[in-house]
Amino acid sequence: MTSIIDYVPGGTLLHLLNPVAKLALAAAIIVATFLADTYALLLGLLALTFALGAYAGVAGRLARLLKVLVPLAVVMLALQLVFVRSGDVIWGFVTTGGLTSGSKVCLRLLGVALPLVLVLMVTKLTDLANACVEVLHVPYRYAFTFTTALRFVPVFSQEMSAIMEAQTARGVEYDTRNPFRKLRLMLPLCVPLLVSSVGRTDAIALAAEQRGFYLRTRESSYKRYPLVARDWAVLACCVALVALGVVA
Amino acid sequence: MAPSSIIQLNDVSFSYAGEKDARALDHVSLDIAPGEFVGVLGPSGAGKSTLAAALSGAIPHHFRGQLFGAVIVDGQDTCDVTLTDVSRVVGSVNQDIDAQMVASVVEDELLFGLENFGVPHGEIESRLTTSLEAVGIPELREREIATLSGGQKQKVAIAAMLALRPRVLVLDEPTAALDPASTTMVFETLRALNEREGITVVVIEQKVATLSEYCGRILVLDQGRLAFDGTPREVFSHGAELRAMGVDSPRVARVSNSLAQHGLIAPGEPCLTVAEAKRLVAGLVGGVASASPRGEKNPVPEPSSRPRAAQGEPVVSFRSVGFTYPSTGAEVRDLTFDVYPGEVVGVIGQNGAGKTTLTKLLNGILHPDSGEVRVAGLDTRETPTSRLAAHVSTLFQNPDRQICKDTVLDEVAFGLELTGVEGREARRRASTVIEHFGLPAGEAPFSLSRGQRQMVALASVVVMEPDVVLLDEPTSGLDYRECMTVMETVAEMAERGCAVAMVCHDMEVVSDFAERVIVMARGEIVGRGTAAEVFSDAALMARAGVEPPQVVALSAALAEDVSPAFAGIAQVSGIVDLVEEMVRRD
Repeated sequence: MTSIIDYVPGGTLLHLLNPVAKLALAAAIIVATFLADTYALLLGLLALTFALGAYAGVAGRLARLLKVLVPLAVVMLALQLVFVRSGDVIWGFVTTGGLTSGSKVCLRLLGVALPLVLVLMVTKLTDLANACVEVLHVPYRYAFTFTTALRFVPVFSQEMSAIMEAQTARGVEYDTRNPFRKLRLMLPLCVPLLVSSVGRTDAIALAAEQRGFYLRTRESSYKRYPLVARDWAVLACCVALVALGVVA
Repeated sequence: MAPSSIIQLNDVSFSYAGEKDARALDHVSLDIAPGEFVGVLGPSGAGKSTLAAALSGAIPHHFRGQLFGAVIVDGQDTCDVTLTDVSRVVGSVNQDIDAQMVASVVEDELLFGLENFGVPHGEIESRLTTSLEAVGIPELREREIATLSGGQKQKVAIAAMLALRPRVLVLDEPTAALDPASTTMVFETLRALNEREGITVVVIEQKVATLSEYCGRILVLDQGRLAFDGTPREVFSHGAELRAMGVDSPRVARVSNSLAQHGLIAPGEPCLTVAEAKRLVAGLVGGVASASPRGEKNPVPEPSSRPRAAQGEPVVSFRSVGFTYPSTGAEVRDLTFDVYPGEVVGVIGQNGAGKTTLTKLLNGILHPDSGEVRVAGLDTRETPTSRLAAHVSTLFQNPDRQICKDTVLDEVAFGLELTGVEGREARRRASTVIEHFGLPAGEAPFSLSRGQRQMVALASVVVMEPDVVLLDEPTSGLDYRECMTVMETVAEMAERGCAVAMVCHDMEVVSDFAERVIVMARGEIVGRGTAAEVFSDAALMARAGVEPPQVVALSAALAEDVSPAFAGIAQVSGIVDLVEEMVRRD
């Protein structure tokens, strides 16, 4: 069960940073991406994300994620081409204005999605939750809800594929080549998936309560997450990144 | 209350909200002393899980309903304290392992409870290591929980409870999804904790042979009432009553109970182990057998009542089939076998031996990398899975994965409609089958009990009238009666010429229903033959990590030391008849 956003163990500086510093770094890259309006900066920020990924040894996984994101980006580009019509006409409905704004939207989409995924790849979910509770004073129940939801993405995708296998074996044509037909066939499966997930949620709530969930305070965590010099250095870089986005 | 009991139920009744007339627990009173190892048995819907929820405080704090009487844990009424306080005394482990994990790494899973209950940080490290060592998994500390096997996850769940130093452990069917080897592992762990640490253990379980081996006391629930309460010997001496309520007995207990019924021994406490049963039978026939060692009794098991169509065309044929999962590298190699119309073939082996892969290759969900799979004359690589479905019907372990319609009738008719049967005809055939099983045609499948949902799934298989039926753990999660309904239905289908392949951890079921057995280990077929041949091959059983059924082990032991006439007997009645014949002869 290897999902794309699984934690990849490692000992690089990126792994060792305080989870909050990592989150800030991702947020800074994202903010800068939104602010940036030149190809140079947009591509530069993407390159930065990939460089960090390569340093932490997860570039391969990031690239795998591109396989999912690129088709999405292409759809975005097509929509932009249709709706944004300005400048010279290049071919058919394609205009220079549409092409520029479309390609930038594509780059922003990648630039927003990848840094967050990168953080999840180099941070254990529990650390992320505990650090957010300790440093950012996020209430633990929200942190727990968030990490549990993320943790169950692979569990549910496994459940979904088991359900699809069972339905295929009954004769439902999931092996059809028509993607729309496949989508239509998949809709009824939401019922079994929903039934099992509601049951699960209830069981998790019970299990957590039986292990003292309501007694937990900000000081409970065994591991401590202080911000040390390297974290402050990264936070300074974050400010610089955002500034760069504003200026450039 | 008596100071000697850690858990006390005083006339406890409970009904879930919305089900006023049905009581899940009905006037249950019992005392559990510290250090006891208690097993809970009962048919589905008897209130076993409700009892576990009452012991762990989930009733009244989590599940809504009406509670009468008092549950007293460590001197305190569970109604007067919070769920969290009950949890300081009682640690509970539920059926669905995935749903009780709160972290993604083993260490964090254990830390969660320790942190919450405010265990001093200086003490945490030693608690972590000792509880991981107590269940024998110190090496898993840094592992991602998602990468563990079912047995390992179950141990993590137990370790997470142990770290909190509970005085009572309540486990609800902890081994339902595990193979026999992992089941033994979990129970050995529980026994060690019970004996060394003095932790009281209450475990709900369907596997009667395991319970009778490990528990000092067994409770039997039936329709919310406490039907029996005593040592395994006392409880299983009521074999006939247990059977009437849908609870199985260990096969060796059935042997001695049956001998008593035939008047060969005085009625009393039954045998619980193979060794005891062997001593009993040896004592009965010992003199006779040594005086006249007889060779006339045919040791070959009786020929099957079904026509063995070995000379006909196989309906399933695997030829040197190999398959490797691209993501994990797990593989099966060189699978070659045939299944003929009208026979039941069992596939056995440990978890991870490749049994499930074999079933997926058979119903076309996976296609072989090498070799060839033919089903009803069709090559699975060239035929879409959805077309194969007209010939192969699969009964999955978890019925909830295949149920997707709003009513039982639609659900059962769905498979037929998918294979092109016209709507009205499909519904007519579905209604006939639904009537046969006595299911409520108009109800929503998800409102039914787990056992009934399995029956709906079974009805959807039967209605297809397929050439091949594929069963993947058909009996897990079912009680004895439901299990027999499923298996007898399958046997009837075989009688009518349908080929049956079943993957099953329950060796008693395999021994009772399969004529031929294929043994798998590490992705290969390591042995095959009739059920009797395979189960009596001790070396093969050891290699596959499979425990032979009790009756087979008993007859093998008797054949060796008492009389060769016992060789190859696989049924309780076979042993009893032979003993009777030998004794009456004098």
